[in-house]
Amino acid sequence: MADQGKLTYLDRISIGILALQGAFAEHEASLHRLKINRQLHVILVRTPEELSQCDALIIPGGESTTIALLARLAGLLEPLKDFTKSKPIWGTCAGAILLSQSVSGGAKKGGQELLGGISIKIARNGWGSQIESFEAPLELNGIRESTRPFQALFIRAPVVVEILSFPEDPLITVVARIPLELLPPALIEENMSENDPRTVVALRQGRHLLTTFHPELTEDDRFHEYFVHSCVLSP
Amino acid sequence: MTSPNSSPVPQGAVAGGTATPSIAPSRSVQRDGPNSSLGTFGVKSGLAQMLKGGVIMDVINPEQARIAEEAGAVAVMALERVPADIRAEGGVARMSDPAMIKSIVDAVTIPVMAKCRIGHFVEAQILQAVGVDYIDESEVLTPADEEHHINKHNFKIPFVCGARDLGEALRRISEGAAFIRTKGEAGTGNIVEAVRHERAVNSEIRKASAMNEEELYSYAKQIQAPFHLLKETARLKRLPVVNFAAGGIATPADAALMMQLGCDGVFVGSGIFKSGDAPKRARAIVQAVTHYNNPKTLAEVSEDLGPAMVGLTIDDKLTGGRLAARGW
Repeated sequence: MADQGKLTYLDRISIGILALQGAFAEHEASLHRLKINRQLHVILVRTPEELSQCDALIIPGGESTTIALLARLAGLLEPLKDFTKSKPIWGTCAGAILLSQSVSGGAKKGGQELLGGISIKIARNGWGSQIESFEAPLELNGIRESTRPFQALFIRAPVVVEILSFPEDPLITVVARIPLELLPPALIEENMSENDPRTVVALRQGRHLLTTFHPELTEDDRFHEYFVHSCVLSP
Repeated sequence: MTSPNSSPVPQGAVAGGTATPSIAPSRSVQRDGPNSSLGTFGVKSGLAQMLKGGVIMDVINPEQARIAEEAGAVAVMALERVPADIRAEGGVARMSDPAMIKSIVDAVTIPVMAKCRIGHFVEAQILQAVGVDYIDESEVLTPADEEHHINKHNFKIPFVCGARDLGEALRRISEGAAFIRTKGEAGTGNIVEAVRHERAVNSEIRKASAMNEEELYSYAKQIQAPFHLLKETARLKRLPVVNFAAGGIATPADAALMMQLGCDGVFVGSGIFKSGDAPKRARAIVQAVTHYNNPKTLAEVSEDLGPAMVGLTIDDKLTGGRLAARGW
């Protein structure tokens, strides 16, 4: 304990949560529950100055159109794009849309602003309206206690429609899939493979993480732990 | 997650007794297997959590809905008349035409909400079938039942309800509401009632959070709230679901005031499209809700917004009467 009492600046990590709109307080609560041997400093990011103090960033669920607009109005859009090139980012739901390279269906008229950072194409509201929102237990790959299912909430969730990875891009690792029968019927095709990109609901590329569901709405903090340990602390 | 509502409930078997044919899309029923649960309380309250820090705007046609979306609204409330007009015109106010609601659903990508009358569970069934994302069981419309609210657990679609105090909020949550808003006094452009309601809820929560269990039993009886929900609220020191401000918000400062009083976001009804420059005011209110603690930003976004909606004094002569008194 004596050593831990004398943390130096180098021991401290600052994780930002984009706090323009959405479920940022839930991410903050999850991060505060983590037990790690570093001093973890959480910054709610609403300005470029706050972003510049962060070692990593979480973009929460919310409305992607609202978050993108508020980011532009706050002068955060370009700093965020630069951030994706150098530091780890995790996007959940709306955040996942913003981290995608392109949006295929369901984009609002007049276009949607994106940050990029992960080489996928995504469809907004892939399952349809709220009545199609659901919970499902997920099997995980590479996350602690991966045999214990993760109860995931999909709320007007986006769907990964294509993986666009080019040879020079960092490798994409799938962290979780859902079974074919849970896909929206409109997306199901004959002879669809269980490895179809549309079944991917959590993936990692380089130091970035993307989940189309909401780990911050559950008490299960394994995704937060994974992001901090595997994406931020040991790239 | 606790899922009090995850057991398969036949869609037709809502309050009222007589069996009616299923009105949910058939695919919902198909996917309601053991491995996936649609319409659980987790996904209902979860959508409200995604709306936090946002502004939900009343719109009466697809054009207004697009303006709201471009201004950064997190959701729109589709209705035929905004509360200010309902107040001025009088008569019975009902659920909107489903065709009009559908035209708004098609125009935007953000969630669409719609209002049904208090206790009118068939209007709610229709709105669920239309495919809106949230239902507001609202005192702004003329109540259909002066004793019972809708049993909202019977629906897969989530509900938001108005409340003036903690007891009323917890009664609505016990009926299945996944989202609470202050009632305020809709259509007046006068913030005083929304402030009164939010302050009442906050003060009662503070009081409850200092009580021991015996006192909580007695307090639950006094405010007519279910004990288990009161106990949970006292533990959390906040409502167990998302809580927005509504009723009388007309300026960015009004919105920021409600946020500083502890609301999670705001509904703006007549305040936007009854003002001089709707797109600009809408965007300013969106920014005010994000930067509610930053007076410098609030000053910037409040500049040159043109005339706000004309406000009404809330007294016994108020045209259309006090809507907040509806609901029990």
